[in-house]
Amino acid sequence: MKSRRATHARRASERLRLTVGRALLLAAIVVAWELGARAGVIDPYFVSRPSRLAQTMAGWFAGGFIYPHIWATVQEAVIGLAVGIVGGVLVGMVFAFFPFLSGLFHPLIVVFNATPRIALAPLFIVWLGIGLTSKVAMVVSLVFFIIFFSTYAGLRDVDVNLINHVRVMGGTRRDLMRHVLLPSALTWIFASLRACVGFAVIGAIIGEYLGADRGIGWIVQYGESMFDSNMVIAGLLVLMVFVATLDGSLGWLERRFSHWKQKPL
Amino acid sequence: MITVERVTQTFETPAGEFTAVRDVSFRVSAGRFVSLVGPSGCGKTTLLGMIAGLLPVSAGRIVLGDRPVSGGVPPDIGYLFQRDALLPWKTALQNVALPLTIRGRPAGETRARAVEWLRRVGLAGFESYYPHQLSGGMRKRVSLATTLIYGPSVLLMDEPFSALDVQTRNLMENELLELWAETRNTVLFITHDLEEAIALSDEVIVLTAGPGRVKASYPIPLPRPRNVIEIRFREEFTRLYEQIWKDLRDEVQASYARATRL
Ligand SMILES: Nc1ncnc2c1ncn2[C@@H]1O[C@H](COP(=O)(O)OP(=O)(O)OP(=O)(O)O)[C@@H](O)[C@H]1O
Ligand SMILES: [Mg+2]
Repeated sequence: MKSRRATHARRASERLRLTVGRALLLAAIVVAWELGARAGVIDPYFVSRPSRLAQTMAGWFAGGFIYPHIWATVQEAVIGLAVGIVGGVLVGMVFAFFPFLSGLFHPLIVVFNATPRIALAPLFIVWLGIGLTSKVAMVVSLVFFIIFFSTYAGLRDVDVNLINHVRVMGGTRRDLMRHVLLPSALTWIFASLRACVGFAVIGAIIGEYLGADRGIGWIVQYGESMFDSNMVIAGLLVLMVFVATLDGSLGWLERRFSHWKQKPL
Repeated sequence: MITVERVTQTFETPAGEFTAVRDVSFRVSAGRFVSLVGPSGCGKTTLLGMIAGLLPVSAGRIVLGDRPVSGGVPPDIGYLFQRDALLPWKTALQNVALPLTIRGRPAGETRARAVEWLRRVGLAGFESYYPHQLSGGMRKRVSLATTLIYGPSVLLMDEPFSALDVQTRNLMENELLELWAETRNTVLFITHDLEEAIALSDEVIVLTAGPGRVKASYPIPLPRPRNVIEIRFREEFTRLYEQIWKDLRDEVQASYARATRL
C-alpha cells in the first residue's frame, strides 16, 4: 500500500515537472520571437510578433469577429464527419456482408481513395458553390474512406474462434452481429476516429481556403491576399487551439470506450 | 449420444488434397466421459469441429442423439476451444452470462446464475475483470463456466487444461469431475496427456498418426468419484497406463518420424 502511494507520488511529481518544463519552453519561444522581432533579427513583416498577434486575437474575440468563422468551420467539419462516418459504416457493413459487391466496387474505391482530395476541392466548389455544401463534400470525401476501411476490416478480421464460440453456444446471426462483429468493428472505428477528426478539419479548411466567404480557412486566405502575415498567423493559431481541443476531447472519449483493451507495457 | 460413422475429412490445400481424418468411427453413449488421445496433428481438433457442425464432413455421418449433424451447429452442444475464445470486450461476468443473454433470459436471473458459476469455478470477486486482466488458468475457468452455464447435453473439450501448470491443472480436473458428476452430460475430451485421459474418463480412444483413424479403444473401469491425483497411485491405473501407452507410443513415434523425415 505504502509503496503504491510512493509510486503515485513519484508519478505526480514527474507530471508536474513535465508540465512546468513545457510551459517554460513555450514561454522561451514566445519571448525569443518577440525580442527577435523587436530587435530586427527576424522580420516582423513575415512572422509578425507575439504581442501583435495577441492584440489581433483579443480584438477578434472581444469584438465578436471570429465567432461566425469558427462556427462555419465547425459546422462544415461536424456535418461532414457525421455524413462520412454514417456512410462509411453503412457501406463498410454492406461490403463486408456481400463479397460480390465488394469485389465489384473494389477497383473504383481504390482509385478514389488514391486520388489526392485537394485535387477534388476545386471541382467540389465548381459543382456545389462556395457555401457549406462544397466543404461538407470535401470533408466527407476524406472521412468516408477511413471509416469505410475500418468498418470493413473490423468486420472481416474477426477471430474465427470468437465467431465459432458464439455460434456453438447457440448464437444466431443477430447475436454474432451484436456481440462479436459490431464490437470488433467499433474498436477499429474508434481507433481511426481521431485521425478522422483531423482530416475533417483539414478538409473544411482547404475547402474554405480555395473558395468561401467565411471560416477559419477563409481568414487565412484573406490575410494572405492582403499580405497581412499577422492575420494569417493569428488565423492559424486559432485553428491550432481549435484542433487541439477537439483532439483532446476525442482522446478522452477513446480511453472511455477502450477500457477493455490491454494497455501496452 | 455421439455417433461418428466412417467419417473422413479432406482439406483442399495449395499442395493438393490433404486427408486429416480417415474413416473414423466411434460412439460415446449418453452421460459418458470419453477421451481421445493421439499424436499432435492427427486430426483431433478437426474431429471436434465436425461434431460441432463447424466443419462439414467430406464423407461419413455424425449423429447427435437422433439428429444427424449437417449444415450447421446442432442445438444443445458446448465446445471448449483449444485456444480460449472469450470475447475481449466483455467482462468475465458478461462472458459467462452470454449464453443466457442469447437465450433471452431475464437480466436478473442471468446475472445471478453467472455470478454463481463464476463462484463455482473459483472466480468470485473477478466479475468485472476483462479477459486480458486474467491469467491463462483463470481465462480457462471462465471459458469452462461459459460452456457449462447453459447445461449442454453434449460437451466437447479440446485440450482445455494443456496450457496450465500441473497443480492448477489437477485442481481444474477435479473441479471438472465434480461439476460433471452433477450434470452428467456426454463428454468428449481431447488431450495429449494419457494420465489425464485415464484419470478423467470412462473410456479412452487412441487415434493413429495422421490421417487419424481409431487405433484402439479402452474402457477405464476405475471407480468414481475419483480424485485425479490419488487415482494415479492405484495399481489398476498403472496397468491401464502401460497398456494404452504401448499403442500411443507407436503412433507418436510414427508421427514424429514422418514429421522429421525429409
Ligand atoms: N483448414 C485446414 N486446411 C488444411 N489443413 C488443415 C486445416 N485444419 C487442419 N488441417 C490439418 O489437419 C491435420 C489435423 O489438424 P488438427 O488441428 O485436427 O490436429 P490435432 O490432432 O488437433 O493436433 P494438436 O494435438 O496439435 O492440436 C493437421 O495436419 C493440419 O495441418
Ligand atoms: Mg488440436
